[in-house]
Amino acid sequence: MTWLRDVLVDLAGDSPQVDLAERTIMIRDRRRRTAISLVAAAMVVVTALGVTVAARLLPPGPDDAASVSDLPAKGVGPLSHAVRTYCRPASGRAPEDCRDGEWRLVTRDGRTYRVPDALPGLVPGRTGLRDSPLAISRDGGKIAYYGAEEETFVVRDLASGRRTTAPAKVPKEWLYSRTRLMLSDDGRYVTFMKNPQFKDPGLIFDLRAGAVRELPNGWVPAGLSPDGGTLTLSQYAPRSMLRTIPRLWTTSGGGTSVTLPQDYEFSPLAPDGRSIAAVERYFARDFPCPRLGNLVVLDARTGVKLRSVIVQGLDAGVTSLSLRTWLGPEEVTALAESVPCDLEAYHEGPDEEAEQLDQPYRTLTAYAVNVETGRARKLTTYTAQDFFEIVLPGAV
Amino acid sequence: MDRNDSFREFVAGHQQALMRTAYLLTGDPHLAEDLLQSVLLKVLRRWSRLSRVERPEAYARKALVNQYISWRRPRRAGAELSTAAPPERPYSSEDATIVRVVMRQALMRLPPRQRAVIVLRYYEDRTERETAELLGCSVGTVKSQAHYALARLRELAPELAPRLAELETDVREGQR
Repeated sequence: MTWLRDVLVDLAGDSPQVDLAERTIMIRDRRRRTAISLVAAAMVVVTALGVTVAARLLPPGPDDAASVSDLPAKGVGPLSHAVRTYCRPASGRAPEDCRDGEWRLVTRDGRTYRVPDALPGLVPGRTGLRDSPLAISRDGGKIAYYGAEEETFVVRDLASGRRTTAPAKVPKEWLYSRTRLMLSDDGRYVTFMKNPQFKDPGLIFDLRAGAVRELPNGWVPAGLSPDGGTLTLSQYAPRSMLRTIPRLWTTSGGGTSVTLPQDYEFSPLAPDGRSIAAVERYFARDFPCPRLGNLVVLDARTGVKLRSVIVQGLDAGVTSLSLRTWLGPEEVTALAESVPCDLEAYHEGPDEEAEQLDQPYRTLTAYAVNVETGRARKLTTYTAQDFFEIVLPGAV
Repeated sequence: MDRNDSFREFVAGHQQALMRTAYLLTGDPHLAEDLLQSVLLKVLRRWSRLSRVERPEAYARKALVNQYISWRRPRRAGAELSTAAPPERPYSSEDATIVRVVMRQALMRLPPRQRAVIVLRYYEDRTERETAELLGCSVGTVKSQAHYALARLRELAPELAPRLAELETDVREGQR
């Protein structure tokens, strides 16, 4: 096989050097200009028909559609979670009074608030790429988000109303691809990253000291030591990796990373500060839909597998898990969804310039999973458009 | 950064690898460029979604292979033939330059799906399952297409037949 591969590699070496980006953009723009006039004429008819059909056929919408009001200046109780809304789901209906790209905070006693000073995310496929993140502290009492006016991250204590602004502005243009925000338990540190990375850096802010430090991008923040000195990062794609950056504020080094021999979906750093849970994911190479494997516990510094258990007690048909908040030293929250992987839609999905629809709202079930035994117990359900549009306290 | 910037970065990072595959599939630099161009247009039209998934290049690669197989555009006469011809005399399968010319000509005479199987299995080193998923067919079809493709290559390049036969033996033993 090596012989034939060598010949083919040799042949492929004759392929032309090209740079097709600019030409592709130019062709797309030219076609779009031609299409716009045709679309405008058709729009009137389609809109009228669409309203009629939608009213008749669409299933019930999300249960988070309770009345929503602006976040009061202070006196708000701890949060249960936050959900981001996009308002043109491909099926079903959007929440009442939906606003595109807006985070809705849901308190433990069921009140729902919007954050009017947070920059909304832009709608994928309709108006741009901006992904404006939000994080909730482990106790549910503080949030971090990108302040539209401040043009940087803001931490807000929900009970006292105290707002603290990060000491450096972050260009709005840096909010793209999948952004991640992590807020330390005490609200002092905010870590910002994104994946896939393109070129600008990740950042960590110390809001008390007024300091900022650049970080390697393309990672997911997994945990920060209580003194703010050691950062743990995970990376799920294209290779699963773990990284530890010690002495964050006294050195500029990138720390040490370990590449793992397996694809994983990681939890945040465990309460012991040393280990991290993960669900094994088996990919046929280059395909977006993994098959789930065991739940493992890894040493976050070395990647060494400490435990591996089969998850038991999930509803039948669960297709993917997202590990979130640790509930104790042995229990981690797992959000589960049961959406069959639609390769057809992924590979030959609708042309977004023609369709421009958002993900349908779906039910995500939260389980507490014991990392020692693999036993899962059901906690609650949420309604969101996908894992990326829901945030739980103490987890990215 | 706007969507065009991130698309530019994606293209910068992946276009040469995609181009090499496109070139092996089409056998012609101009057709390869046309093929990749049309695939990148498809990617760009979906870019705000693709830029948020884990492996946007997976979409591009699958689109490339399938667009190549389903391409209905007339191929230019002679486009698939190398301008270099192998010597009339018998040659050694150890002569790398001649092997390359012979293989290139033989490869370009395979039907598109068989050529795609050879490129995916032996150039990109993909498993039968991955190849089947990329082509949207069964693993059995990949096996049979690989078998027919290697047999056809043996006919088209008789001097390389022993090495190609060894290859098929390796494949069969690997499947046991």
